[in-house]
Amino acid sequence: MATVEYRRIGKSYGAVEVLKELDLTVEDGTFVVLLGASGCGKTTLLRMTAGLETISAGELSIDGKVVNTVHPRDRDVAMVFQNYALYPTMTVRENIGFSLEVAKKSKAEVAEMVENAARVLNLTEYLDRKPAALSGGQRQRVAMGRAMVRNAKVFLFDEPLSNLDAKLRAHMRVEIRQLHNRLGATTIYVTHDQIEAMTMADRIVLMKDGSIVQEGSPDDLYDRPNSLFVAEFIGTPQINSLEGRIVDDGGSPAFETGGIHVALPAGYGAHTGRRVICGIRPSDVTLDPDGPLRGTMSIAEKTGADVQFYVDIDGREFVAVAPRASYVSAGTTLAFAVAPEKLHMFDAETGRRIEL
Amino acid sequence: MKLGVLSPDRPFIWMLPLIAILIAFTIIPLFYNIWLSFHEYAPFKRALEPVGLKNWSLLLSDERMWEALGTTILYFVVVLTAEVVLGMGIALLLDTEEFGFGFLRTVLTLTLVVPPAIVGMMYLLIEDPEFGVLTYVLDAAGLLDKATPILSTASTALWGVMLADIWQWTPFMVLIFLAGLRSLPPEPYEAAMLDGASAVMTFRRITLPLLNKVIAVAILIRGIDVFRMFDYVFVMTSGGPGTSTYTLSLYAWQQTFSFIKWGYGATLSLFTLAIILIVANLFIYIAKVRW
Ligand SMILES: Nc1ncnc2c1ncn2[C@@H]1O[C@H](COP(=O)(O)OP(=O)(O)OP(=O)(O)O)[C@@H](O)[C@H]1O
Ligand SMILES: [Mg+2]
Repeated sequence: MATVEYRRIGKSYGAVEVLKELDLTVEDGTFVVLLGASGCGKTTLLRMTAGLETISAGELSIDGKVVNTVHPRDRDVAMVFQNYALYPTMTVRENIGFSLEVAKKSKAEVAEMVENAARVLNLTEYLDRKPAALSGGQRQRVAMGRAMVRNAKVFLFDEPLSNLDAKLRAHMRVEIRQLHNRLGATTIYVTHDQIEAMTMADRIVLMKDGSIVQEGSPDDLYDRPNSLFVAEFIGTPQINSLEGRIVDDGGSPAFETGGIHVALPAGYGAHTGRRVICGIRPSDVTLDPDGPLRGTMSIAEKTGADVQFYVDIDGREFVAVAPRASYVSAGTTLAFAVAPEKLHMFDAETGRRIEL
Repeated sequence: MKLGVLSPDRPFIWMLPLIAILIAFTIIPLFYNIWLSFHEYAPFKRALEPVGLKNWSLLLSDERMWEALGTTILYFVVVLTAEVVLGMGIALLLDTEEFGFGFLRTVLTLTLVVPPAIVGMMYLLIEDPEFGVLTYVLDAAGLLDKATPILSTASTALWGVMLADIWQWTPFMVLIFLAGLRSLPPEPYEAAMLDGASAVMTFRRITLPLLNKVIAVAILIRGIDVFRMFDYVFVMTSGGPGTSTYTLSLYAWQQTFSFIKWGYGATLSLFTLAIILIVANLFIYIAKVRW
C-alpha cells in the first residue's frame, strides 16, 4: 500500500506563499485528519497530493516514489472535492460508476457496486437524477459515492460531510471508518468538525497559515497541546485561558491571577516568576465550594447531559461544564476546583507549552 | 418627465422602427416572392402573367433542379462535417493558457473579415492549373496531374470549391467552440483525471455532452449558410464545368437573371427556403436547442 511523504513542501501563487516548508509523513494505512482555520491551506495540500496543483517547492512521494511530476491519472488517488466536482451531464448512477467504467469493469459489476454505494449513502431513489436536481447534501453524498467505489492507494476527503445533518453525519462517520478498515488505504481527511477529527483520526495534523503546528494522536493534541493555539483549537467548548504568573505559594508553585491562586504540580517551581497563560478545559473543572476559581455565574446553558456555566472570574468569562444535576439559575456564585495535572501552562509571550 | 406618446408605457411606438424594417425587407419580399412564384415573365408582352401552379409542377420534374439539389446536399454534408470536425480539433488544441496562444486565437479571426468572393478569387489562383500552389503540390505528390485542372474537371470542381469554404469558415467554428470550451467548469475534468479517464474518454463523456448545445447552435447557423451557398461557386466555377457545380442558389440566380424567368427563380428560392425551414426546425427539435 502507500505511505505519503511530504518533504519541505511549499506552494506559492505568485508572491502569495500558501504552504511553507511543510514536512509530514502519513504512514501506510493510517487515517490522518487535517485540521485548521479556513484558508490555512488544507485544500491546497490535498490538491497537490492528487496532482491537481503544481508543487512549488519540495518533494512529494507516494509509496516511496517521488510523484511531483506524475500525472493525476497515474497517482491512483481518490478524492472527494470540497465543491463536489460532479459530472453535470451524468446521472448519479453514471457519476458513481464512471471510474469503474474507465477501469473496464463489467456492466453487472458496475451496477452492483454502484447500487451498494447508493444503499450505504441513502441515494438509491436518486440514482437516475442529474446533479442539478439534487440538494447540497445529496450532491455531497454522490461525491462520497464516487470515492467509495474506488480501490485507490490514497483517499483524500475534503470536508466530505460538511453539508449533512447530524444524524446522517454520524452514520457516514461510521461508514467511512469501515471503508477505511476494509480497504486499509492511506486516508487524508479534512474537516472542521471536532467530533469527526477526534473520533475518526489515527493522527491529527493541525495547520496554521500554511505550516503544521502540531501532529499527533487525538489524545496527544487534546492532552498535551504544544501551544495555546492548539489548545484553543481542539476541544469544545474552547479551553479557558487566564493570563497571570507562576508564584511560590509557601514552597509549592501556584498560578496567580488577580488574587486567585491555583496550585500547580511541583515541577513548575523552576519557572517561578514567569508570565504565563494557564489553560483550563471546561470539562476538567469540578464544582467545589472551596475551589479557587470563584465567580458569579451569568448564564447556564443546558446542552443535554451537561450544563455549561458562564462564570465571571476576575472580570473574564470562564466556561465550565458540569453534570445537568448541578444546574442552578443565573446570578449564583459558583466555585470550581481543578486537579493540578489537568492544567496547561503556556508562555505568555510565545504561547508555547511549558514542559515539565 | 412627460414623454406623451413616447412614454415607455406604450411599447408599440418603440417597436415601430424594427417592425417597419421587418416589413420592408422581409415580409414584403417574402409575400412578393410567393406571389411571383404563381406568375411568369412574358418577354414579348414585357409583363408578368399568372400561370397558376405551372412553376411548381415544373420544379418537380426539372432534372437540373434535382441535380442542383444533389450538389447542394453533397456540398452541405461535406463542408459542414469538415468544418465541425476540424473546428473542434483546432479549438481543443488552442484551448490552453500557454503563452502565445492568445495571439493564435486572434489570428484566426482574420479569414472571417475577407469577403467570400475574394476568398473565391484567392482559391481560383491557388487551384490554377498553370501556376496554382495546390496544383503544384498535388502534382508533386503524384495525386493529381496538371492535365486535370481542379476547377474545370467535373469530378473535382466541387471539391475545389469546398476547400475555399472550409478554409474561410473553419475558424468561425473554432471561435464558437473555443468560447464554449473556455466557459466549461474545470472541476469535472479534475474529477475525471482522478477517476483515471483517458483524454478520449474525457472528451466523449464530459466535453461533448457539456458542449452539445453550443455545437448544435454552431451547426444550425453554419448549416443554414452553407445550404444557401452562392459566392464561391459563382466566382470560382459559375456552375461549371457543364452543370456539375450548380447549387440551388446558383441555379435560382441563373433562372432569374440569365434566363429572365422571374417566376421560376422565385419558385426555386422558395423551395430552398422551405427545405431550410423544415430541416432547421427538425434539427432544433431533435437537438433540443433552446433560444
Ligand atoms: N489560485 C489561487 N491564487 C491565489 N491564492 C490562492 C489560490 N487558491 C487558493 N489560494 C489561497 O490559498 C490559501 C489556502 O487555500 P485553501 O483552499 O487551501 O484553504 P483551506 O484550508 O482549504 O480553507 P477552507 O477550510 O476554507 O476550505 C487561501 O488563503 C487562499 O486564498
Ligand atoms: Mg478547503
